[in-house]
Amino acid sequence: MSEQRKGSFLVDTLVFTKRSIVTIIRNPLIFIPNLIISLFFLFVYEGGLSGISELPAFEGANYLAFILPVSIVSAAIGGAGGAGQALVKDLENGYFSRLLLTPSSRLAIVLGPIIAGMLQLLIQTGLILVVAYFLGLEVAAGFGGVIVVLLLTLGWGLAFAGYSVGVALRTKNAQSAQAGTFVFFPLIFLSTTFVPYELIEAGWLKVAATINPTTYLFEAMRSVFIDGWEAWPLVRGFLVIALLCAITISFSAISASKAVSAD
Amino acid sequence: MDGSISVHELVKTYKGDVKAVQGVSFEVGEGEFFAFLGPNGAGKSTTVQILTTLVKPTTGTIRIGGVDVGEEPERVRWNIGVALQETGIDPVLTGRELIEMQARLFGFTKKEAKTRADELLTLVDLNDAADRPCGKYSGGMRRRLDLALTLVHKPKILFLDEPTTGLDPSNRQAIWKEIKRLNREEGTTIFLTTQYLEEADQLADRISIINQGKIVASGSAEELKRTLGFDAIQLVFEADEEAERASKVLADLGENIECSKDEVTLYTENGTQLLSELVRKLDENNLSPKKLNVKPPSLDDVFINVTNEQKERA
Repeated sequence: MSEQRKGSFLVDTLVFTKRSIVTIIRNPLIFIPNLIISLFFLFVYEGGLSGISELPAFEGANYLAFILPVSIVSAAIGGAGGAGQALVKDLENGYFSRLLLTPSSRLAIVLGPIIAGMLQLLIQTGLILVVAYFLGLEVAAGFGGVIVVLLLTLGWGLAFAGYSVGVALRTKNAQSAQAGTFVFFPLIFLSTTFVPYELIEAGWLKVAATINPTTYLFEAMRSVFIDGWEAWPLVRGFLVIALLCAITISFSAISASKAVSAD
Repeated sequence: MDGSISVHELVKTYKGDVKAVQGVSFEVGEGEFFAFLGPNGAGKSTTVQILTTLVKPTTGTIRIGGVDVGEEPERVRWNIGVALQETGIDPVLTGRELIEMQARLFGFTKKEAKTRADELLTLVDLNDAADRPCGKYSGGMRRRLDLALTLVHKPKILFLDEPTTGLDPSNRQAIWKEIKRLNREEGTTIFLTTQYLEEADQLADRISIINQGKIVASGSAEELKRTLGFDAIQLVFEADEEAERASKVLADLGENIECSKDEVTLYTENGTQLLSELVRKLDENNLSPKKLNVKPPSLDDVFINVTNEQKERA
């Protein structure tokens, strides 16, 4: 009887995405700690460091607007990392094999958790922006700027999801995949995290910040929060993200095709 | 697409020159109940994984329902149901959700998926637990749910890799009853690996025994027992040490001798004729078994014999 039925990539993707969303909702521990840490960053850095925005290098910028991207980006990394974690769980409990035995699209199996992760990330970012609004955030580029920030976050999340899914499918165990998320620290902190580039003291940190793609993401977000519409930081930010996505998504696609057709 | 399986010269070599399967060939006809027996690590699970598209063979041709597994794996997946040794279940979802999702992936509409879930939950007797997360299910319930997931799309061919291992007798019975019904009433082809030889003996039309990656014997249970052409003399002693001593004393009487704990089994061409000599030898050595039995070989005996012969040759 089965042969008259047809598979559909769209239906498969929808089914897998829905399942991932259900899983996330039923395990609030997947996203709540991550959200709390991000808000913690926002409160603590804003509360403890906002005085330094008096320094001339800040050019009168509000420190809240300066530090907000750090909070958003760290939430995004956590949210996107969830996609890889979800796949690791499936690999470990054998459900992944059960899915491979269905005629469903192999791409959809990997795409479901990624899309769910992106939705989670959008909601988280929205929440952080609302909190920031109540703390007195003013976005120089207006509502359009908020959309740009959401898009940047989404792109960044996608790049990190690609990375986490790739690592998950390569290592196939929770500990290694967890270890893979430690890039979080260099990505977030070896950058213009707390002060503008000119105020970074150590030479090595300046070099690291220049190489670190997160720096360009921070700068792009800060430009819409603080300065309004400026082309160059945005172009640079989106270019860096596009490049990163291209690399990590290819990495995850190659890992996926290896994982689903074991030799 | 029919319900046949055809495997020709299947070889699977893993990295580091580990030969998991070394040139296995067999045919299973539509509606046949085929049992694949072998000790742990013989290559059973690897063979199942290759036949069900999960692992690629190193060389060899496999046709499932006439379709080449290497060329059209997706077409094969539409027609097979697979229950692997490890149940594959997402602990967060409920039994009903898992079945409905599985049905959707096999092209059922939402409504059809709901109906199918109701049918299957009743079939595997999980109605009461249907809306609880599977993470809270017992081992037997998981197995039954796993079987339901395997049956969602009414596959023509079922692959069952040790489906009853670790289950209590009542759960095992329930699963066997259903597998038997599928084979006898619905004409489903069954490819089963098991360590419960008794069950293979009762259910399977044909049996192949695999050892160290090679098929060492094939046929119906009766044929296998006949080809063995041996009787088994079984002796039970008071102490393990006596049994061990007896196995040494009696070693040159039969073709093959097995000793495990307090039990010795001697395989010999003609059990009854040997008895007087056997008893004399035991007497000479002050050995008196508390139990002595001569019986035609069981499938267990066949199994132990063919797998042992190979060990000796190796």
